[in-house]
Amino acid sequence: MLETSILELLVFSVLALFMIGGSIAVITNKQTIFSAFGFLLVMIALAGMFALLQSQFLALAQIMISVGAVVVLSMLTILTVNLKEENLPKEKNRYKWMIVATLLVLPITYLLYRSMDEAYIYFVDIDKVSSQVVGKLLFSDWVLPFEIVSILLLTAMLGAIVIARKDDTEQKGRT
Amino acid sequence: MSPNLFFLLASVIFSIGLVGLVSRRNLFIIYMSIELMLSSVNLILATFSRVLGNADGSVIALLIMAVIAAEAALFLAMIVHLYRSRKTIDSDQYNALSQEKNYA
Repeated sequence: MLETSILELLVFSVLALFMIGGSIAVITNKQTIFSAFGFLLVMIALAGMFALLQSQFLALAQIMISVGAVVVLSMLTILTVNLKEENLPKEKNRYKWMIVATLLVLPITYLLYRSMDEAYIYFVDIDKVSSQVVGKLLFSDWVLPFEIVSILLLTAMLGAIVIARKDDTEQKGRT
Repeated sequence: MSPNLFFLLASVIFSIGLVGLVSRRNLFIIYMSIELMLSSVNLILATFSRVLGNADGSVIALLIMAVIAAEAALFLAMIVHLYRSRKTIDSDQYNALSQEKNYA
C-alpha cells in the first residue's frame, strides 16, 4: 500500500477538482477559446498528479510537452481561425445529447474503474520511480520504441506542413 | 494514498472525453476530447508504474506523450486545412465520403 496522509489527500482533491471541472468546461463551453482554457487547466492539474505520484520526470515532461507545446499550439490555432459567434456550429440540442451520451457512457466508466481496481491488487509496490531509472530504461530496453517515436514525430511534422500548406496548383491556376 | 482514487479519476476523465467526442460538433472540441482521453490513459499508466514500482509504465507514458504531440500537430493542421476549404468547423458539414450525395 502507498502511505496515506491528509495533506496528500487534500492535494489530490484539489487537483481532481481542477481536472474534472476543466474537462467539463472543455466539453460544455460554446466558445472554443474557453474550452481551450479548461484544457490548459486539465493539463496543469495532470502534471500535478504526476508529481503526486512521485514521477518527477513525467511531471516535467507533461509541463513541457502538453502545457508548453500542445495547449499553446491549440490556442494559437483557435485564435488564428478566429471564429465569430455566428460561425460556430449551431448545437441547440447539445445538452440533451450530452445527457444521453453520459447515460450511455456511465456503465463503461464503472467497468473501467472496476477492472483497474481488480487488477492492481495483483501487483506489489516498491519505492518511487526516479527519472534516472526512467532514462536508463528509455535508452536500454525501450530504445526501439523511442526511435520509432522520433520517426513518428518527424512524419507528423512533415504531414502537418503538407496538409496545412496553401495549395500550389490552385494558385498557379489562378495566376 | 490508495490508487483507487487515481483509477476513479482517470475513468471519469476518460468518460468525459468520450461524452465530448460523441456529443459535440465543433472540431476543436472533438480534438480536445481526444486529448483528454489520451491524458487519462497517461494518468493510469503513471499510477500503475508507481503501484507496481516498475518504470516501464512511465516510459510508455512518455512515449504516449510524444504521440499526443504528433497527434496535436496533425489534427490542428487538418482543422486549418478543412476550415480553409469550407469556412466552417462544424463536423456535420464534412460528409464528402458519406453515401448521401449531399455536398453542402
